[in-house]
Amino acid sequence: MSDEKRQVSRRQFLNYTLTGVGGFMAAGLLISPVRMAIDPVLKHDEGGDFANVGLEVSEITSDPQRVDWSVDQVDGWYESEVSRSAWVYRNDNDEIVAFSPVCKHLGCVVSWEGSDDYPDQYYCPCHDGRYYKDGVNVPGTPPLQPLDVYEQEERDGMLFLGNIRPHEEA
Amino acid sequence: MLQKIYDWIDDRIDITPIWRDIADHEVPEHVNPAHHFSAFVYCFGGLTFFVVVIQILSGMFLTMYYVPDIENAWQSVYYLQTEVAHAQIVRGMHHWGASVVIVMLLLHTLRVFFQGAYKKPRELNWMVGVLIFFVMLGLGFTGYLLPWDNKAYFATQVGLEIAEQVPFIGEALKTLLAGDATIVGAQTLTRFFAIHVFFLPGALFALLAIHFILIRRQGISGPL
Amino acid sequence: MHKGKGMKFVGDSRISAEKTSKIPKDYSEYPGRTEAFWPNFLLKEWLAGAVFLVGFLCLVLAHPSPLEGMADPTDAAYIPLPDWYFLFLYELLKYQFASGDWIILGILVIPGIAFGALLIAPFLDNGPGRRPRQRPVAVGMMLLALVSCIWLTYTSAAHVDWETRAEQNKPIPPGESVVDQDHPGFAAYENSCLSCHGGELEGGAGPALVGTEHTKEEIMDIAVNGIGAMPADQFQGTDEELEQLADFIIETSEAAGE
Repeated sequence: MSDEKRQVSRRQFLNYTLTGVGGFMAAGLLISPVRMAIDPVLKHDEGGDFANVGLEVSEITSDPQRVDWSVDQVDGWYESEVSRSAWVYRNDNDEIVAFSPVCKHLGCVVSWEGSDDYPDQYYCPCHDGRYYKDGVNVPGTPPLQPLDVYEQEERDGMLFLGNIRPHEEA
Repeated sequence: MLQKIYDWIDDRIDITPIWRDIADHEVPEHVNPAHHFSAFVYCFGGLTFFVVVIQILSGMFLTMYYVPDIENAWQSVYYLQTEVAHAQIVRGMHHWGASVVIVMLLLHTLRVFFQGAYKKPRELNWMVGVLIFFVMLGLGFTGYLLPWDNKAYFATQVGLEIAEQVPFIGEALKTLLAGDATIVGAQTLTRFFAIHVFFLPGALFALLAIHFILIRRQGISGPL
Repeated sequence: MHKGKGMKFVGDSRISAEKTSKIPKDYSEYPGRTEAFWPNFLLKEWLAGAVFLVGFLCLVLAHPSPLEGMADPTDAAYIPLPDWYFLFLYELLKYQFASGDWIILGILVIPGIAFGALLIAPFLDNGPGRRPRQRPVAVGMMLLALVSCIWLTYTSAAHVDWETRAEQNKPIPPGESVVDQDHPGFAAYENSCLSCHGGELEGGAGPALVGTEHTKEEIMDIAVNGIGAMPADQFQGTDEELEQLADFIIETSEAAGE
């Protein structure tokens, strides 16, 4: 009886060792590939890459206006020029705000007074999403969040826009 | 808990006999290095398979970054070599694995040959093994081109010119491999990529499966 | 195998509802000092595999896989070389009996016979004896083939200066061409030097000029009088052009070194 018990525990011991050695081999094999695969997740965006959008700060009014510019985008080994656009205006506190035109509902492009029915609002033609002038979504329309804003900076009187970040609730 | 999940599956698809067949066989004394150290020569086959596993894994991960296109192939390899963490190691595993697998395959072949283990009744398994050897050489040849560096380009050019010298079908053969009668370029690269990543591994898996099934059926050859 | 009526299945499937025992079969009557594959022998195999893996990873870490410059079909100075396991075929084709009019012999007949024989070896060597001594012909042929392959690979590899080769073909980082094509000396470089020293001064038939240790005067002298294997009179132009050429090489070399 006791002999049989020992037999079982020896087999179990071997099985545990086997699992350990197998785990060691799997780890040795997989550590580098997995680290390589998740590299994009761990690479943090440096940010702070501001681009001149070709608009003088003095020209910005309280009426939102659309600006288009292009940035050099480095996508791994592929470098390209991509075009960006933003709706820029001066808010009541005399601060410059640049909204990303991408609708927070499903990613269509919104435009200021895009519909004759809704003056003084951003309008998204895909699902009739609307935003107030301060970028906040109109309750009852499809979007659930306010429009994203660009980081912005003023240099030599010109407007520079950087990365997109979520709208901060007022 | 695990036991319950296992029983639930086993009730339905009866998996116990499948792995029992692999697990429940006895390893004879003459192949066990614990009894005769010279039996380490029996390891070469298993180690070859181990390197094949390394090749499959590292290859799968490399295709996350690699592009089979003459504009971008070299750029993407250079990018992963220089910019991506640990990618140099992964590419190194694939690069050196390709050499090590040939060495191991050679040692395994020589072991089987000099022991006369391919004699009746194991003729078929020997032939499958030699076919695996050919597939491996094909994988080496096609994989060589993929980084699209000078070494790759010119070595492939030579390889294709050798293919062209074959009487009667030479030119057709070269065009078939290169995708174009005269240019070694964009179409060659995609072809070699497809052969390297899909066609030859497919053939390799099938041959390996036959190789292993035959080993389990026939058992390992007896002592000399 | 159970057959016939009275068998119970799981549902309407073909899987027997009667459980077979999960206790391993008894092999105690098997001859010799046998060992169960699972887990005893497999553990030993995996230990060997783990040692092998550690060795392999050390090799990988010690020697990063090489990558040469991007393929340049116009690079006439490049000497192609296959991977080492094709070197024996490559070397074979250098012999007279395997090239020229006899190319078929080199690419089809000899490798065809060798690999064909390997494929059907069990039928060529079909005697009952398994020991090498009992089949001298087969073993002799194999040893001959093995020795010739090793010899061919060795002679092929011995000709190659691997370090210089790797040095000359180092990749140039993309988008970082250091060559200023508007430099007044570039035209002279393009005409006289580029075919051997490369479009990026990276070398080719001649050595790399990037990182050169020669002074401006020495470069001017070498361009006219040659050095080592480089023949004289490679540069033929005015003295002013010669000076611009030397300036160009030194400036580019310095720019690349940064």
